Amino acid sequence: MFHCDVVDVAKNKITLEKAQQFIESHKCGASLFFVGTVRDNNNDKMVTGITYDSHDGMVRKSFEEIFTQAIKVLKLEHPVAFVEHAKGYVPLGGISVVIAVACKHRNQVYEFSRYIIEQIKKQTPIWKKEHYLNEDAQWLDGQKVEVKK
Amino acid sequence: MKIKIELFGAARDFADDNILELTIENQTNIKGIRENLLNWLKKKHPNNVNYSNIVNNSAFCNENNEIIHDDYLVSKEQKLCIIPPIGGG
Repeated sequence: MFHCDVVDVAKNKITLEKAQQFIESHKCGASLFFVGTVRDNNNDKMVTGITYDSHDGMVRKSFEEIFTQAIKVLKLEHPVAFVEHAKGYVPLGGISVVIAVACKHRNQVYEFSRYIIEQIKKQTPIWKKEHYLNEDAQWLDGQKVEVKK
Repeated sequence: MKIKIELFGAARDFADDNILELTIENQTNIKGIRENLLNWLKKKHPNNVNYSNIVNNSAFCNENNEIIHDDYLVSKEQKLCIIPPIGGG
């Protein structure tokens, strides 16, 4: 079971309650929540917020692919995952991403959650523009997308 | 023929609108479109090396949300997207 979305934070909220409701399953004995939030510094600059930009269609496709890859790589049975990522301006302390997973055993949820966030950073077309205390803003460097022939 | 390129991430700073329109030869590949875009940037933002670096390090995707390689031929008017280096989470 899988749910994923890009949430325009000007219109909607990412909530842990929604994630918890989704991942509840009697087939699973372990669940884990990963919450990414905006921190107050990066590269010695005081950060006040981050604007997240995304190619929504590709992001949803990428999340689906990551879920499928994870099941295969980690050999998961009856996995459940909920992934929502913010789009738009997120202030200091705000939630940028929630990854909630449930599996049969505890060791699987740690691996599953870690796999998803690491692959999002490598594969998913999302960009960050940091806003600083002095009112400057800057797009952050990212990872070049792999192009297959 | 004309194609549209939707801008994302750092490439959004290339123009006020989020979509650029380029005129290209029929059957131009992505490599050619990249060169066309670099020439457009040289006119619009002369001396901005950073913008050229973004284009050189970006991928492109088509209307089916597929990342396309440099040999991919564009043979009809369509919208492509530029995908600069990514970094969510």
